[in-house]
Amino acid sequence: MRESWFKRARAGLITAAVLALVFSLAPNVYNNSSLLFMMMTYIVLSQGLNLLYGFTGYLPFGYVGFFGTGAYATALLVMKLHLPIGLAIAAGPIASMIVALVLGPLLRLSGAYFSIANLAASQILFIVIGNPNLQDITGGPYGVKIDEVYNPTASYAAMVVLVVVVTLIATFFRRSRFGQGLKAMADDPVSAEMSAIPVVRMRLLAWLTSAAVAGLAGALYAWNLSVFYPDAVFTLEISVFAIVFALFGGVGTVLGPIIGAGLLYALYNAIGISEPQYFQLIYGVLIVGLVMFLPEGILSLLTRRGINVF
Amino acid sequence: MKLKQFRLAVAMAAAALTAAGAASAASAPSVIKIGTLYAGSGNFAVASQAQYKGLQFWAKRVNAEGGVYVKAFNKKIPVKIVAYDDQSSTSTATTLYNQLITQDKVDLVVSDFGSVLTSVAIPLAKEHKMLLIDPTGSSAGFFKEKTDYLADVSIPSSAVWPMPLAKFLEQEHIKKIGIIYGSNDFDGSQADTLKAEFKKIGVTPVFDHAVPTGERNYTVLLHSAAAAHPQALIELGYLPNDVAFLKSLKSSGLHFPFVFTIFPGQFKQLMEKNVGADALKYTYSYPAPPMIKYEKVNLGMNTDQFVTAWGKTHKGAEPNFVNAGGYNAGILMAKAMGTSPKFTQLGMHQALLDMSGKITTVVGAYKLSPTGAQLGQRLPIAQFQPQKDGSLKTVVVYPDSHKTGNAIYPSPAG
Repeated sequence: MRESWFKRARAGLITAAVLALVFSLAPNVYNNSSLLFMMMTYIVLSQGLNLLYGFTGYLPFGYVGFFGTGAYATALLVMKLHLPIGLAIAAGPIASMIVALVLGPLLRLSGAYFSIANLAASQILFIVIGNPNLQDITGGPYGVKIDEVYNPTASYAAMVVLVVVVTLIATFFRRSRFGQGLKAMADDPVSAEMSAIPVVRMRLLAWLTSAAVAGLAGALYAWNLSVFYPDAVFTLEISVFAIVFALFGGVGTVLGPIIGAGLLYALYNAIGISEPQYFQLIYGVLIVGLVMFLPEGILSLLTRRGINVF
Repeated sequence: MKLKQFRLAVAMAAAALTAAGAASAASAPSVIKIGTLYAGSGNFAVASQAQYKGLQFWAKRVNAEGGVYVKAFNKKIPVKIVAYDDQSSTSTATTLYNQLITQDKVDLVVSDFGSVLTSVAIPLAKEHKMLLIDPTGSSAGFFKEKTDYLADVSIPSSAVWPMPLAKFLEQEHIKKIGIIYGSNDFDGSQADTLKAEFKKIGVTPVFDHAVPTGERNYTVLLHSAAAAHPQALIELGYLPNDVAFLKSLKSSGLHFPFVFTIFPGQFKQLMEKNVGADALKYTYSYPAPPMIKYEKVNLGMNTDQFVTAWGKTHKGAEPNFVNAGGYNAGILMAKAMGTSPKFTQLGMHQALLDMSGKITTVVGAYKLSPTGAQLGQRLPIAQFQPQKDGSLKTVVVYPDSHKTGNAIYPSPAG
């Protein structure tokens, strides 16, 4: 007999509630809201990447492409059509999903081929958006400015909500038949198909969900930043951080990307603020060490001891 | 009785004045904290660190004299620079600017080098009502509306940089022009200005090509440009682009009668080291101080004094323009603190506005608009002309007010 929905989602609900509480109260203790906002952004991106990589095995090196698309869709709708910020933000994930649909055939590739093709796609998006000949449409290299809707408090609150929503989506992936189907596909797509799992449809759904999450994160990021250039939202650094944070925590779990992004991003800033001169050395050594000794992520310390990790 | 009352009143007034003075002294901070960011790595590292060094140079000098005079407290107070490494990343810069404002509670914020790393500081400064001292963020988009929280102090808006270049080309009757520029705000706005100026005189570039900011190989582009036979080829890029462009030009064996790049005029030594004096021969650039001299200044050191003082503290090294820009930001902040009757962000911004048009510093005339844009400090045009001893002489060829020699055009091949 299957567990009730509430019982299956309980751990996810508790995690989401804790995250909401922590990030709602954190500005009262530590008022560098930009740092807290960026930490949430990376939690969302790591989790969004986890939805794809952790459950289907597709590692999108160009994940930032969806993030940048969401950011630009929101900014351009505010600038060009003067849409209310709420509607413009809603358009962010829609634009990312449209891009994901166009890039859907990439899912025919696998392994490194998919990752590299996805990376190339994100660079194409970056070059197109920053093209001086498209200045009248995208702002080109001059970037975008939406300071008329700039609202750091509201955008912070919206990002807290997104963290909660993404945690619940990850919980659904982790605890549902859908998620189990995805994992079965990742392990052996032929057997999964023979077991009547709609491989193509489910893979596409995971791909679109992951893209929408990044698009929504990008939309909120644009709202919070208000002035930015194409480099700021299409930089590969964002993809690299999301991948490293997710891997550090442990993919295929709900807690892994949260712990990975939370811990590593806090450490990244702690080193950057206290010991800027040693920053790259310390951070680099740390990441190399983790890859060598904890390739399955920090949560593997628990799973190795037979503890079931959520 | 009346005399007694009078004496009492005088005594009370004196006591009140003393107490007020003591309170004023007590409220003066022990140090003036200047917050800034620098890029220890990434695309902007070289220029960013040069700006940071200029700021440090100013702080060291001012502290050696007992600190900066703050009029509001009527005393000199030492300066402390609080700086973090943003690694040329805008997202890291955002959190670090916020760190400076909310955690370190700095008294003034100086933005990192260039428009990209300055852009994220502008909304934060506005939100926290902090005056952002902007030494080198020159995007025209920053200065569209009136603000109390932004002051571009060391370079003019990038959109006006190429005006003298366009005038010079017109004067020389050069009409077949090729432009290669980076797809970024700094270079794109200069390319737009050039094209607009050319349009006024009926000139359309024979070659017009944008490249990604990260472009490092110009060989194919140079051959394409050569096929259009331009009389002048203008490359607008950041420092790494200029290095790559000049290297590609040298190795390609191609020759253009007129070649212009931006950064040799600001980092001549560095460029000579990276591309060789031979590759710079007869090329043109914007010569920036200390390459061009401002002898009559009324704030801080003049060019010669600056070069000498810099050499003494940097093992004989010559300063570059961005070093001067960092130093210039420092002396203008000091002047603002020294003249503002209130030690507030608005007070210092007003002091910076009040100085506008009255000050000449090591980087030239200082003119600040109400939108925060720098309208002074226009950059002339210079050519690097080879000398018999193999060195390169910087000859200012335009405008006449700065001219030190004539341009050699077309440049000799070989």
